[in-house]
Amino acid sequence: MTGAELTLQILQQHGVDSVFGYPGGAIMPLYDAIYDSPIKHFLCRHEQGAAFAAVGYARASKKVGVCLATSGPGATNLITGLADAMSDSVPVVAITGQVPTVAMGSDAFQEVDIIGLSLAVTKHCVQVTNVEDIPTAIEEAISIALSGRMGPVLIDIPKDIQVAETQVGGKGPMNGNGPTAVDCHHDLAIEQAKTLISQAKKPVLYVGGGVGMADAVSELREFSQLSKIPSVSTLKGLGTVAADDEYYLGMLGMHGTKAANYAVQQCDLLIAVGARFDDRVTGKLKEFASNAKVIHFDIDQAEVNKRRLVDVALLGDLKVNLPATAVTTDIAPWQQYCRRMIIDFAWQYDHPGEKIFAPALLNKLSQLMPDTTVVTTDVGQHQMWTAQHMAFAQPENFLSSGGQGAMGFGLPAAIGAQVSRPNDTVIAVSGDGSFMMNVQELATLKRYGIPVKIVLIDNARLGMVRQWQQIFFEERYSETDLSDNPDFVMLAQAFDIKGQVITTKQQVDAALKEMLAHDGPYLLQVRIDELDNVWPLVPPNAANEAMLESVK
Amino acid sequence: MQQHNLTITAKHQPVVLERLLQVTRYRGFNVVGMTMFPVSELEQLTIELSVVSDKSVDNLKNQLLKIIDIEQIKVEDQALQKFMA
Ligand SMILES: Cc1ncc(C[n+]2csc(CCOP(=O)(O)OP(=O)(O)O)c2C)c(N)n1
Repeated sequence: MTGAELTLQILQQHGVDSVFGYPGGAIMPLYDAIYDSPIKHFLCRHEQGAAFAAVGYARASKKVGVCLATSGPGATNLITGLADAMSDSVPVVAITGQVPTVAMGSDAFQEVDIIGLSLAVTKHCVQVTNVEDIPTAIEEAISIALSGRMGPVLIDIPKDIQVAETQVGGKGPMNGNGPTAVDCHHDLAIEQAKTLISQAKKPVLYVGGGVGMADAVSELREFSQLSKIPSVSTLKGLGTVAADDEYYLGMLGMHGTKAANYAVQQCDLLIAVGARFDDRVTGKLKEFASNAKVIHFDIDQAEVNKRRLVDVALLGDLKVNLPATAVTTDIAPWQQYCRRMIIDFAWQYDHPGEKIFAPALLNKLSQLMPDTTVVTTDVGQHQMWTAQHMAFAQPENFLSSGGQGAMGFGLPAAIGAQVSRPNDTVIAVSGDGSFMMNVQELATLKRYGIPVKIVLIDNARLGMVRQWQQIFFEERYSETDLSDNPDFVMLAQAFDIKGQVITTKQQVDAALKEMLAHDGPYLLQVRIDELDNVWPLVPPNAANEAMLESVK
Repeated sequence: MQQHNLTITAKHQPVVLERLLQVTRYRGFNVVGMTMFPVSELEQLTIELSVVSDKSVDNLKNQLLKIIDIEQIKVEDQALQKFMA
């Protein structure tokens, strides 16, 4: 068996059935082995697309996502996807071809030091120097990607090692695919946490992406049902608390709800669960929940006391630590106050004029789509509207580039999600700027008949940047006018993708229904006013209660 | 600015030194001294690293401990000596 065949065999033994990639010189032996392998390979049309597809696959399925690229430019094209996976703790294994061992270090054709380049955007990276090391390298990569705080791992395999013959085999799957976590819950911290929770008068549960990644959604829901503590969510945490939970206040932070931000600013105890006090969440850090004590549940010791000093840290598996600290509370006045805010500050969908109001359209889509739908987004205003106005049954049903905010994420991530969940509806909500960043992946939809539905919110602008120019840069609209966009429906047609463009409110219902009912990929272009803005907005370096709700 | 001396035990893997320096720089620490030597028949390394920063050395230690091939870190401040993990 060759190193390339062995590589695929080990991947297969670990339950990998689909990979995303792009061939080239230094990874040709691996592609030659793919030709006969039962592993399904999806050819993306840019390695960045392959990396984002692996991220989408991993996040939607909770399995490891695998992407492949050749050396040099193929490998460098993966970097943005790896950075996204690093920031959002996504278990991805990237395998890159490298020039032959004898050529390494000689500035050979398509040689790039991908190990050096990937240091800052991977949890771990290895270069295989001996064919016998392939099984261990891959087994360790998968296990590292999936354990503790998950993240991307890169394996660089020189071409000669891919062709080398070997007798070794894999040890077979170790502990299967699935998040594993070290358990180190400490009795003292548990008691302290319970005391703080039962003494608090105004506690808030601050729910992050870590809950879903720890597979602890039901534990979190049980915790909040027992304690009835009002909760808020980060972008990555959306779908964790049930959207109809009595005391759920919505997303917090820069584009959070008024109810969520006010509650957090006033709380006397903040219970952070799998969240990391990101600057988009906290606003001005010094003034974030400044009267609150903090309990921090996390799997990553390095997140504790990183941005905010905490009173109690509970490190380890949320599946263990959440039930261990669940207590009842006596906070009726605070609950009523939060309920009042939920009602008083509920979203309003009435909107004057004929033009389409994106929040209302997205909210309608949310009502029409099946509960099991996966929604991905790109980055910008449409992303924030999706987070605000759509509801998700589970966190793995909402995939957005959180930590990096990488435009170009939406379409390839939707492709990965659809490959991992072929029977569920997958919708990519995109913007006319972001869509063009990985538009070549329409060819991937066409090639495999992947039935992703694209909702393109078209304001003919780089909307989020334009909004900031309007508010913070004296309406100096530098390089954000995209009114020369291509004809998107015609573009979709060129890839055999059905589409239509809508411009008025009356068209919305029928268009959404047609899209959802369509058997195959679909592009719905939604024209909106170029001056529509996302509200509320916490200005940079302001405290979260200082939300703007209109252009002054 | 405070100086901290870290004694780090790591697996002797090719990338570990670069990762160590990359994380140290990224987290806001300047390296002012470094010695390393192999132990236990080349399978392990001991790295003595002196860094300065006004940031928390505990946070640096926690970030460095996430490097897969780093096994143990002992931190000493200039004045008092603390032993950790
Ligand atoms: C790769 C990348 N480049 C630049 C940005 C900066 N950026 C953030 S939002 C945005 C505008 C996005 O425009 P569009 O996709 O049309 O979405 P809209 O805000 O109009 O909904 C830009 C340029 C980014 N987030 N990612």
